[in-house]
Amino acid sequence: MNHALTIYWRLLGVQLRSQLQYRLAFFFDVVAMSSTIFLEFASLALVFQRFETLGGWTLGEVAFLYGLEELSFGIMDMVFSGFDPSYFGQEIRRGSFDQLLLRPLNLTMQVFGSKFVLRRLGKIGMGLAVFLYAQTLITVTWTPAKLLYLPFVVFGMVCFFGGLFIAGATITFWTVESIEVMNIFTYGGGYLIAHPMHIYQTWLRRLFTYVVPAIFLNYYPALYFLNKPDPFNFPAIAPFVAPLVGILALLASLAFWHFGIRFYQSTGN
Amino acid sequence: MITVQNLQKHFKLNKQYRGAWGSVRTLFSREYEVVKAVDDISFEVARGELVGYLGPNGAGKSTTIKMLTGLLVPSGGELAVNGRLPWRDRQAYVARIGAVFGQRTTLWWDLPVIESLELLQHIYHVPNGRFRQNLADFETMLELKPFLNTPVRSLSLGQRMRADLCAALLHDPDLLFLDEPTIGLDVVAKERIRQFIRHVNRERGTTVLLTTHDLSDVQKLCDRVLIIDRGKLLYDGSLDALQTRFGGRRELVVDLAEPYSDVSVAGATVVARENGRVTYQFTREEIGASELIGRLSQRFRIQDLAVREPDIEATVRRIYEERLLEN
Repeated sequence: MNHALTIYWRLLGVQLRSQLQYRLAFFFDVVAMSSTIFLEFASLALVFQRFETLGGWTLGEVAFLYGLEELSFGIMDMVFSGFDPSYFGQEIRRGSFDQLLLRPLNLTMQVFGSKFVLRRLGKIGMGLAVFLYAQTLITVTWTPAKLLYLPFVVFGMVCFFGGLFIAGATITFWTVESIEVMNIFTYGGGYLIAHPMHIYQTWLRRLFTYVVPAIFLNYYPALYFLNKPDPFNFPAIAPFVAPLVGILALLASLAFWHFGIRFYQSTGN
Repeated sequence: MITVQNLQKHFKLNKQYRGAWGSVRTLFSREYEVVKAVDDISFEVARGELVGYLGPNGAGKSTTIKMLTGLLVPSGGELAVNGRLPWRDRQAYVARIGAVFGQRTTLWWDLPVIESLELLQHIYHVPNGRFRQNLADFETMLELKPFLNTPVRSLSLGQRMRADLCAALLHDPDLLFLDEPTIGLDVVAKERIRQFIRHVNRERGTTVLLTTHDLSDVQKLCDRVLIIDRGKLLYDGSLDALQTRFGGRRELVVDLAEPYSDVSVAGATVVARENGRVTYQFTREEIGASELIGRLSQRFRIQDLAVREPDIEATVRRIYEERLLEN
């Protein structure tokens, strides 16, 4: 395991160096990536010019939610690049995954090390910027406990969406092409939890509470950070299960991933 | 070293659906047909052998290689390499083998060759001294020096293949799989790679299993070939024996010094005659080349002559097309 970790860092180094070889292209990629987030957020902010609140939440409060989600999703998108289903499907088609099987190294570690999209820093940076902008609009009463819990919330979302990436990548063992339906959960899910979730219709909210428990990742922690009352009367622990939800999702998808590898080795493609 | 007993690999091919929901439908589809990619194959390869593995496209070659390298689990039969089951303990197994798949590279696209090799050194736990020693050897034999610091993406096909060969052997594997190692290379580059393969096999004692479409590779390298088609092993033996059996006829081309009205000779048939040049066909079983030449020179004044061996390429093509090995 130690060995695999050392190799992971080396592979990461390879990725970083090759991406920084073309500095100008990298720079423009980062700018493009952050402008997408900026425009998305700007259009959201424009809505507030007219309606002032979204489901009772001010722009600052929504920005808090939005920034935290974008920041976390961006980190996930960077660290789990190798599992991005559209990329991983290509690797299966090209037979590059077979090359990984031929190396005496942990497979999961190798996939992590096979791609690391550094330009996601643009997304992460913009997410952070929106989150900090929120602090200028509203006064969040930060306590040591809240500050301590904040990284765990980010961690929870990174694990959760990373798990979705891994599950999506695993499905390509069967389908070869990445399936669009997965995007509903990854990108759609990300967009969904970037907004106050009580504004959605009941069925949708229930889907993302009981089937895919994404509501606990960002919305409930935000209720806690912003000292807002819980409109759904969940137990008081609800804001604090975010890291657990993330880890469980990740573990479940890793189990699925190992099952998928066994399937792949029995069928090939 | 390799023991294969009644090896089988059957695939269930799911029915593929098209359209927007096609991949989802395919995923849940229960309709399939069974394809027997490898169907009851047995053979053994001893340590130090250099064996050619031949067969037309879709014969089951790469499926066999995938099972031997641990990428695929067989659906039946036995398969052991050095007493190990390749897929059982994948990491420990692949640490002892090397593989070059001609169409793909194991190296890192954006890294200079030397850095890729150093990365592999760490992955395979090759001790520093051994690494330096091996690198020095391969560097000379494969003439790697001029492009050791070039990123892999800028290498020519021949250079890349040499780098890949080096990469596959740095950890002193017992067994080397080569899949089309000379594909797309010019004559000089092919020859260099063949020499290297021969060297690795003879001097280092590495067992080599060579899959190729290029029969001159096999002719120059392998004492033994396995021929597979439609999942069945059709032939296990030397290429020469195959040639004798199916190779058809040798040809003797003779330039006669004087015009003769009757140029026939016992043991050979005249197949072409223009001006002073006569072409005879004969088989190994009936008559040897020297005896035939002796008979001819007794009767005619000969200016020049040449023996043409039947083309192995044509022989094997005929074997595939006419299914000569199937009963």
